[in-house]
Amino acid sequence: MTLEETQAAFHALATRAADLPAAAESFLVGSPAFPAAERIGIYADMYLWRLTDALREDYPKTAALLGDERLLALAKAYAREHPSDQPDLGHFGRHLPAFLRRLPAPERADLADLADLEWARSEVFFEKPATSIARDALAALGPDAFLDARLELIPALRILVLDHDAATVWRHLEDGDPLESAVVCPTAVAVWRAGFEVFHARIDPDEARAIEIARAGEPLRHVCSTFHDREDPAGAASAVLASWVDEGWIADASSAG
Amino acid sequence: MAFTRKILGHGIGLRTKHFAQHLAARPPVDWVEVVSENFMAPGGRPVAVLEKVRRDVPVVLHGVSLSIGSTDPLSESYLGQLAELAGRIEPAWISDHLCWGSHGGRYAHDLWPLPYTEEAIRHVVARVEHVQEVLGRQILLENVSSYVAFRASEMEEWEFLAEVADRADCGILLDVNNVYVSARNHGFDPHAYLAAVPAARVGQIHLAGHSDKGRYLLDTHDHEVPAPVWDLYRETVLRLGPVSTLIEWDDNVPPLERLVEESRRATAIEAEALAPPFRRAVP
Repeated sequence: MTLEETQAAFHALATRAADLPAAAESFLVGSPAFPAAERIGIYADMYLWRLTDALREDYPKTAALLGDERLLALAKAYAREHPSDQPDLGHFGRHLPAFLRRLPAPERADLADLADLEWARSEVFFEKPATSIARDALAALGPDAFLDARLELIPALRILVLDHDAATVWRHLEDGDPLESAVVCPTAVAVWRAGFEVFHARIDPDEARAIEIARAGEPLRHVCSTFHDREDPAGAASAVLASWVDEGWIADASSAG
Repeated sequence: MAFTRKILGHGIGLRTKHFAQHLAARPPVDWVEVVSENFMAPGGRPVAVLEKVRRDVPVVLHGVSLSIGSTDPLSESYLGQLAELAGRIEPAWISDHLCWGSHGGRYAHDLWPLPYTEEAIRHVVARVEHVQEVLGRQILLENVSSYVAFRASEMEEWEFLAEVADRADCGILLDVNNVYVSARNHGFDPHAYLAAVPAARVGQIHLAGHSDKGRYLLDTHDHEVPAPVWDLYRETVLRLGPVSTLIEWDDNVPPLERLVEESRRATAIEAEALAPPFRRAVP
């Protein structure tokens, strides 16, 4: 066998893509007391445990909700469909929310949304650091330039639009409180990092839209126009922008031209 | 071709559990080793902690994903990230494992053994040379624990390790626990292994704990260094002289003080082993 053939056979056995004890004996050394097929089983077990641990690390609440046995089974099925394709194990779990959405009978209808929230929290934790502007930087734009100014948001900010109130499920799991049944409840959630701490909070749908408009580089007049349905659109826009500054979501505000 | 051993003393791994203590004060050790992949992200607390620790003590980058023995192409993207991290941290050296862990673009995130063949030597040597060219420095390769051997092997593991290090002109990270674990799992003599390792190529030693699973030992890094491994360490130091030594404790990580205590034990054993022999004064 060439080195390439040897590695292909080993990989198939150690990832349980193939389960052929006779194949193991053909190229691996064992003994009557400890056959090669059982020895390769040590690697196969470690493969699955390592990937399961990686999912548990990125999705601690989802993992707690599922329990160890179910998580192991889920990791096995997930790894078959989405084997790790990056040197960094931290990327392995990125497809889990979509995978959970395709499950015919998930434990809870909001499981994929909870996973979405946890993945966003994991992503922002490792995002590039950025400094944030203070309120006076917005004021310094001046009334004439304000509506044409554009915002640069910090990299460590994600906006999720979910079918369920995953933030409340996350909170119950964090506090050890019993969960209520999952009900459809469209929710927007902001996830961000301040310093080394990761936060998330429910936000109004129009604010979620405003953030995405700002992130797309549109001028503030378009950002502010998303609040036109509010009772006091200008006041609402002003309050929302002030809260973005206070949370440290704005890295820069620059006037056009 | 030559390899120069740098003597840093005795170090410990930088683990998340101890971040706050590392941030609060200079760690009471000579140097710190970090798992390279854990610090390749652009931001976050780990990177900030590492930058602070680097200001206090020398840092060594120890990778787990180079997959130097794989027949897959080397990941140039990974190498670029490693080079970038090395540029920022300026590590004392960079190490990874003499193993493979990916096939067909799929990563197992494990340290799988290689068949000890001439084909594997040529394959690994060419890749080490490329890595060293990209990084602009010699790397160290670590012997891994193994649970299975290949029918195709043409030589002993220690001969394979020595040949790769010599032809690739790289250093060796000698994991004494791995020697012990593999010796038990395959029935070879760990003393023969240590005697055959080319002393001039060894730049670092790893010490760790393992678990006895009955029919085999599992390299778990989850508790203190056991007595037989300390004995082999003493023997290694006698053969090699002082070598930068690190305690690996990755699971069930103890309080920092316990880890430091284990590192100090290594310091004491090295000092005792290398103390000049007592001579009576000649009248």
